[in-house]
Amino acid sequence: MSIVPKETIEVTAQSIGINNLSPDAALALAPDVEYRLREIMQEAIKCMRHSKRNLLTTEDVDSALRLRNVEPIYGFASGDPLRFRRALGHRDLFYVDDKDVDFKDVIEAPLPKAPLDCSVVCHWLAIEGVQPAIPENAPVEVIRAPSETKLPEQKEDGLPVDIRLPVKHVLSRELQLYFDKITELVVSRSDSVLFKEALASLATDSGLHPLVPYFTCFIADEVSHGLSNFPLLFALMRLVWSLLQNPHIHIEPYLHQLMPSVVTCLVAKRLGNRLADNHWELRDFTATVVASICKRFSHVYNNLQTRLTKTLLHAFLDPKRAITQHYGAIQGLAALGPNVVRLLVVPNLETYLRLLEPEMLLEKQKNEMKRHEAWRVYGALLSAAGQSIYDRLKMFPSMPSPPASTVWKTNFRIIHSCSANKRRTPADLLEEQPPAEKIGNDGALVPLSNNSSDMETDKDPAALGDSSAGRSSPKDIRESHSERRQKRDQLEKRILRTPALLNQAWKDDLDSGRLLLLLFELFGESIFPFIPSPEMAFFL
Amino acid sequence: MDEEEIEKAVMTYLKKKGFKQTELAFQEEQQRQHPKTALHSTNSHVDPEIACQILSFSSELENNPAQYHEGYGKLRSWAYSSLDLYKHELLRVLYPVFVHCFMDLIAKGHIQEARTLFNSFREDHEMMHGRDLQKLEGVLSPSHLEEMEFAHSLRQSKFNIKICQYSYDLLLQYLHKTQSVVMLGLINEHINFQVSPGQPTSISDDAEVVTLMGSGQDAVNLINQKEIHWGLLEDSLEERLEKAGALVPDSAKVDGEAREGEVEENKKRPYEGGKQGASLKKSKKDKVATATGKASRVETSTVSVAPRVKPELTLPSIPAEVEHSILEDLRNRVQLSSAALPSISFYTFINTHNGLNCASISQDGSLVAGGFSDASLKVWDMAKLGQQTGYATSQIVEDSYPSDSLLGANSGRKSYTLFQGHSGPVYSATFSPFGDYILSSSSDSTIRLWSTNLNTNLVCYKGHNYPVWDVQFSPVGHYFASSSHDRTARIWSMDRMQPLRIMAGHLSDVDCLQWHANCNYIATGSSDKTVRLWDVQSGECVRIFIGHRSMILSLAMSPDGRYMASGDEDGTVMMWELASGRCISPLVGHTSCVWTLAFSCEGSLLASGSADCTVKLWDVTASTKLLKTEDNKTGSINRLRSLKTLPTKSTPVYSLQFSRRNLLFAAGVLSKNT
Repeated sequence: MSIVPKETIEVTAQSIGINNLSPDAALALAPDVEYRLREIMQEAIKCMRHSKRNLLTTEDVDSALRLRNVEPIYGFASGDPLRFRRALGHRDLFYVDDKDVDFKDVIEAPLPKAPLDCSVVCHWLAIEGVQPAIPENAPVEVIRAPSETKLPEQKEDGLPVDIRLPVKHVLSRELQLYFDKITELVVSRSDSVLFKEALASLATDSGLHPLVPYFTCFIADEVSHGLSNFPLLFALMRLVWSLLQNPHIHIEPYLHQLMPSVVTCLVAKRLGNRLADNHWELRDFTATVVASICKRFSHVYNNLQTRLTKTLLHAFLDPKRAITQHYGAIQGLAALGPNVVRLLVVPNLETYLRLLEPEMLLEKQKNEMKRHEAWRVYGALLSAAGQSIYDRLKMFPSMPSPPASTVWKTNFRIIHSCSANKRRTPADLLEEQPPAEKIGNDGALVPLSNNSSDMETDKDPAALGDSSAGRSSPKDIRESHSERRQKRDQLEKRILRTPALLNQAWKDDLDSGRLLLLLFELFGESIFPFIPSPEMAFFL
Repeated sequence: MDEEEIEKAVMTYLKKKGFKQTELAFQEEQQRQHPKTALHSTNSHVDPEIACQILSFSSELENNPAQYHEGYGKLRSWAYSSLDLYKHELLRVLYPVFVHCFMDLIAKGHIQEARTLFNSFREDHEMMHGRDLQKLEGVLSPSHLEEMEFAHSLRQSKFNIKICQYSYDLLLQYLHKTQSVVMLGLINEHINFQVSPGQPTSISDDAEVVTLMGSGQDAVNLINQKEIHWGLLEDSLEERLEKAGALVPDSAKVDGEAREGEVEENKKRPYEGGKQGASLKKSKKDKVATATGKASRVETSTVSVAPRVKPELTLPSIPAEVEHSILEDLRNRVQLSSAALPSISFYTFINTHNGLNCASISQDGSLVAGGFSDASLKVWDMAKLGQQTGYATSQIVEDSYPSDSLLGANSGRKSYTLFQGHSGPVYSATFSPFGDYILSSSSDSTIRLWSTNLNTNLVCYKGHNYPVWDVQFSPVGHYFASSSHDRTARIWSMDRMQPLRIMAGHLSDVDCLQWHANCNYIATGSSDKTVRLWDVQSGECVRIFIGHRSMILSLAMSPDGRYMASGDEDGTVMMWELASGRCISPLVGHTSCVWTLAFSCEGSLLASGSADCTVKLWDVTASTKLLKTEDNKTGSINRLRSLKTLPTKSTPVYSLQFSRRNLLFAAGVLSKNT
């Protein structure tokens, strides 16, 4: 009947040396013990109140015991919170974990840091009844229901009515002006110096956060209505870029509104309505914007990148889309990083290039404009693929070879001998490579000569997709072609041999070897500038 | 049945039940009525019918503990199933019946049954009487009942329940019909019904309908009928100011100006400009009809229209230059009202490591004292602090008087002056009106007087036997009052080691106290949930204010001496009219302990600070006006208007203080996890 069982009394009695406590005594004592305990706790609560706290501490219990002229319980006065342990085998029985402390440890322990001394700081809680918005005060809600004046009146007639008013977003006058100014600049004077200043301000000013929803809305509106207005679109993208740069803005909640507009500027069929509009540049810029968004927020929205790549890949692989759209998609994917390119673009390269080929050829595509576009896309693809392979290769420890780029142009042999000596002496095969290859290699360095590739494809249907071969000078075609065959054989041989020669750690190398091979097949020598020279030497 | 038999039956019943006191009282009464022969008849007080029931009860039911459980259970279900209109009134009956059932069972030794009863029905009352139930829960044997003050007071007193005629009839009808004698007996014995004609009262004023009468309601009524002179002291400084400022035209300002005519040193808050000076003076002018002014000096001048009383204590005199500065302050006081809210300067204690027990601010806000649980008292000079932090203080320094030696006082590295001397946690500290002394009270049951000029302990006052919870300087200085766990409050003067008066009467700890503006009374708040007003001269209790539901933590007196506010542990603030002893409005809003209350200097605003980390401002004038208009309407909800809630970041508010110029100072401890 008492919450203190009589067993507790018996155990306590034994612990103080009373062994023959009669059960009746224990039974009679139990309720009294409970009563005394409660009494002490009530006193402790009084002490707690007078210490102006809402949390009962061991000190309060000690004070209560002193009030009752009872010796306080020692050992619980330290300020640390008590650590309770669950007693084994009991669900709700706890005890205080009281560890033995070695004196040596205590003495040798470094002195703890002195606690900060108590002090008083002063601030204005209110000035004539109004709370100033200073850090010391509780934050004043930005969003508050209007018409506070009405509430007291309602209270007066004794009926405290709690009316929820629709939440209204209050924008200060200054912010409104700022917003108007910025939007005006974006729409009409995006080439002025002032606009540059504005972008800088957007990228750095704190306190713009309330405007973010308005800006996202503005951008979405303008993009959807102004697709033919190139300067506007560019200005909008720069606006987005600035907003993203601003460290004080918390833009995540608005990303979902922002992304469609940005992606539109990347893969739209037409951006701007004049020929002079350099929409390529806009797409390139937007690609960097997209990439930075992905980089920054992919940990928050983990499906952001997946969704984006899916959209882009879709645009890229759909043959019915305009070539400009393909360009945007490729640039977007490329901006997302070499890995994305390697995983998503490269596997589709061969098919795509097959599609692109006719567009680039003079006889197949009479429209100069279209051909130009196709070459643009080709360039984008090349640089994307090149970046990816470069990234891949540069991960490997550089090989101890002489500064190659100059050397291999001038004296190919040296490279061969160098690399052969140092890395794979058994691969003497390389030494036997015909000097003619040098020509081919040199040819690869020649800037794209887009008018010369026609014949080659006819001659070698097998290498139809390999348009890059055409960039060698026509007379070399046969030669270079056969060389390439040969070289490929060599490469394959070597690749097959590598595992035997190198240990398992080079597995990656093997992969990239295959990748390089593929790229080389597709692009020919034009891929070479992306390959670090030692690797180059190695693969050749 | 013949009277004698009845009496015998009653006697046997009482004996059987072990109602010794009742038995004695009964016998005594018999003796009184029949001086010659005790058993001689004509006891007209015992209704034969009741006696009948008692007899049948005693014979049939004996000590059947199940009766209580069953009886209460039935009563409860009946009350809950009654008509909605009367339900809330009938439910009020349940709590008294419940606690008395429980105590009866305990008294008879049926502990197990008592526990069962308690546990099965406690939820019903948890909300309204949670704390009381916690106390009662521990009662497990008849001896505890006698020992425990709370149970004792319950047993001794009656519950007062306001109920309408029809509900009352319903109840009686039910009790008679069901023959539940136990319930009937309990209700007869412990409940005093105040039957009112007409419709049941609304639910909202529940607060006052069930009250526990301390030593019987009559005693309280008697006490509350004593005359008190709540007027302000004649010849206060304010009064003099009024006369001096008579050149200024006046306008309407009804409320009295209180004057804590105190002296004070480095006054002068730079923030309150002198702009309000003019309006201020006006207000001083016509305090017609109302009391005003306050603490005074012995030096005399003339009289005003307001009720004035003579000081009953010999009052100390103030130095001329201090008086001068006070007058200056009064002239520059900002007029506050519901439309003109005060500025609040907040002093936040940091790094206290949970050790701060109390905070106190001097009248001009320049000094802040903190009492710590490590028995130390620390005093900060805010003027100095200001200098370090770029606070506008230069004026403070310029304006302070040459006598102010505080400036040079604590020149150490520390930002505060440490006063050590107590041997237990310091629970309270108070500045003298002049700011040159501090009193601190501690759990070592002593009060110490410190000089802020000398930075030293001057006197240690010993008199209390238990921790001293609160100490307060009188508005004129020199005298002070203390309250303690030993259930007394004591009046002291600085120059005597022994208390001048001991106020005894509270049934539990005296937790807080406050001086009346005219120094003739003190108010004390106690854990017994009452506030009492004592006459300082005679030491008598002159008012008992009943209505709070938990321990009283803070008190404030309006500067015009007419009203008093008290705050409790639940967050309720109550406003009382001293003359009538009635609660004029409960102020509901705080959600946790109200640690501190303060009236603005002209009495138009009340500020309250609470553990819920807010400072609330209440409009006093509106609520008192309201009272006047609906004076006699019972059940009207006259709540004080809450003007403003000012939340702090995470700082429970320990102390509030209006400066003479009506700048509000607040202090509290930054606490991360509350």
